[in-house]
Amino acid sequence: MESSEYSLAISDKFGDNVKTELINGNEIHIFADNDNIIELCSFVHSGIGCRLLSIICNDERQINGMFVLRYVFGKENGEDIFFVATLRIDGNADGFPTLTQHIPSASLYEREIKDMFGLIPKGSHDQRPLLLHSWPEDSHPLRKDFDIKTKVPKSKEEYQFLKVTGDGVCEIPVGPVHAGIIEPGHFRFSTLGESIINLETRLFYTHKGVEKLAEQMPMEDVVLLSERIAGDESVANSTALCQAIEKIAKAKIPKKAAQTRTTCAEMERIYNHLGTLAGLSTDAGFAFGAARLNILKEKMMNLNEKISGSRILFGVNRIGGVKIDLTDVNKTMILSETESLGNEFYKILEFLRKKSSFIDRLKNTGTITKEDAVGFGIVGVAARCVGVDVDTRKDHPYASYPSLHLDKHHDTPYQKMKYEVEMQKRNGDALSRFMLRAEEIQNSIMLIQQTLRDLDNTQPIWCDVGPLEPHLHALGYSESHRGQTMHWVMVGKNNSIYRYKIRTASFCNWKIIEQAVLNDIVADFPIVNKSLDLSYSGNDL
Amino acid sequence: MTDSDKDSIMDDKIVTVRNPTDMTGVSPGYRGKVVIGQDRISETDFESLDKSCPTHSFDYDKKTQALSVDHGKCIACDKCRVQSPALIQIKSSFASASKTRAGLVESFDAVTIEKSYDEIGNELKEKIHNLYGRSLAIREVDAGSCNGCEVEITALNNPIYDIERFGIHFVASPRHADLLLVTGPASRNMEVALKRTYDATPNPKLVVAVGACACSGGIFGDTYATTGGIDKIVPVDVYIPGCPPRPQALIYGLLLAINKKLDRKPDP
Repeated sequence: MESSEYSLAISDKFGDNVKTELINGNEIHIFADNDNIIELCSFVHSGIGCRLLSIICNDERQINGMFVLRYVFGKENGEDIFFVATLRIDGNADGFPTLTQHIPSASLYEREIKDMFGLIPKGSHDQRPLLLHSWPEDSHPLRKDFDIKTKVPKSKEEYQFLKVTGDGVCEIPVGPVHAGIIEPGHFRFSTLGESIINLETRLFYTHKGVEKLAEQMPMEDVVLLSERIAGDESVANSTALCQAIEKIAKAKIPKKAAQTRTTCAEMERIYNHLGTLAGLSTDAGFAFGAARLNILKEKMMNLNEKISGSRILFGVNRIGGVKIDLTDVNKTMILSETESLGNEFYKILEFLRKKSSFIDRLKNTGTITKEDAVGFGIVGVAARCVGVDVDTRKDHPYASYPSLHLDKHHDTPYQKMKYEVEMQKRNGDALSRFMLRAEEIQNSIMLIQQTLRDLDNTQPIWCDVGPLEPHLHALGYSESHRGQTMHWVMVGKNNSIYRYKIRTASFCNWKIIEQAVLNDIVADFPIVNKSLDLSYSGNDL
Repeated sequence: MTDSDKDSIMDDKIVTVRNPTDMTGVSPGYRGKVVIGQDRISETDFESLDKSCPTHSFDYDKKTQALSVDHGKCIACDKCRVQSPALIQIKSSFASASKTRAGLVESFDAVTIEKSYDEIGNELKEKIHNLYGRSLAIREVDAGSCNGCEVEITALNNPIYDIERFGIHFVASPRHADLLLVTGPASRNMEVALKRTYDATPNPKLVVAVGACACSGGIFGDTYATTGGIDKIVPVDVYIPGCPPRPQALIYGLLLAINKKLDRKPDP
């Protein structure tokens, strides 16, 4: 359907008091009020068939005396359209109606808004604090009148975990400091014998105030900040930010810049997937496999360094394009190294495949159901492994992905049908995630080769993005190795950032781990955790 | 395993680094550290440099007109070099760790460590052997890092850097540890956990701050959510700068920590 048809459908249902507006080419903004916002969101979600991608709150009291909530929905599989339901709340109001009864995945966003803005999701069953630990109730960092330097004294307040009781039920608290070299988070297991009967996660230990920090920085420095949202997703996050700003400026970046972004994004995917597969091998107790895969990861990181000056691809993006110039020498190097990496990876895969002790640990471990995947609105490999076919690279193509023809499965009705049957078969266990990541590594190598063969070396690598008009805003998005990254930027005066809302794939996916471990044994937790490959820093911001 | 399997899977032979020119050979484009190219600069030059730096790593002495750079803040973003290419160079050698916070500040006449990963490692091995009897046990604590430093610390354990051959082990509990390797700007939410991990580590203990964030808060600075450096919460023995520090820089920092331990008078 065309965007105008959607607008018509919405005004048919809600009458003339709901206005719609198309901005930035693919964002249909719908302006609702307190009375119809919930009905509108459910209509977009269930009626039009969209996924909830983010809920953005913004303190616009300086502009219009209001808090503004933007519910972002995305359409998939062939339609590059976003719906943004907008609700204005009076600056003195204390809350907004909750959406959780209709869309459960809204819960985390609403808790975030309660912490950061002090607006209460009315009627929501879960109003516990999320981002801020031991934090007094009257202080809210993302309000404009909160000074970033404020040192808020710690309040005494115990976080309420779900208490599982009964004969033989044992509680195992784990973290925030973990046993391996990984990020901090707290897991509360309730077990009966060896089986996990409940898991509750408490995260946000690495909350660093990134969104607030962005509002204080010059725009080009925010690109550096976005690279450090999660160090291993630097290209995905900075690409999303740059694209949002370029959209606001209506700038079209040079073809070579788009191709460089694609190349680096796929290199990032390869080295991280290799790391995850190596980690899975370690967690299954198969050190040899891990060693082999880690050698490949190190080779990729060396390649990263050669082309970007950083082993984890810091410093690739800039607003209006990229900072690194892929020369012919670089091009040849990437082509030959990724090709030999592909061959070596193939050998290792063939070897791992035959190790039944390894495969058995992954099979039927950490199984996700399709129902949960849809209900929690998860993204990335975790969603695809159970047949929920979401991939931002094809659903909302960006950089040079539109020319890469990713969506091969949808060419003929026969292929479509075959693909749908294939997706039905995926059962969402750790093995299916292993398989999918292995497949994506090979795909990424192919995409890099396709992109580089077409590289236009006569072009500049960036274009000028002029001064931006205050208070314009846009969505920026990309597909990291963890899944969809969804950013939203509103520009302030003098080319500053008024609000930078970040939502990485991990924010959507963390909750699924609580379902995935059910009925597995505690010793399988590392495998479940690693196979989902979740970022703490990208989640906690 | 069949013979053909063995051939195909084992054909890398030994990949662990033996000399600095093989796989770990740093590429010339690597953004290692900021080097100041002039002994005296004007105040306006300093102001434009300071403005370009997102973490305000530069300092200027008005009397001597000398410029200095604090590697504990620098995130190697290259903006200063773009701003003043005549004054600033970015070299591929890494900024070396220091036993004091002030030691991370370098001016015009700074010297660079030219030792290879393996040389540092073997010196370290010998000293660990003498001091701890074969092994140094490390507990890694992430106090709010972006995961970049963790990627590099994990790399220490891969077959290429293989830190275990020097007698260094990462252990699961602070109670087993001789040394805490701490990353991140020390987020407010990790404050208590870090303090308690430190308390749980038996004496005598060493603390090494890893990365610009751990040294100074880095790009995340000192805000409502961060404390602006590990040393605001626990005493730090060695600071390793970098964003993130590469494996060579990490192992050099560990050597420095052991040296500091050797220099220190024995605990009564």
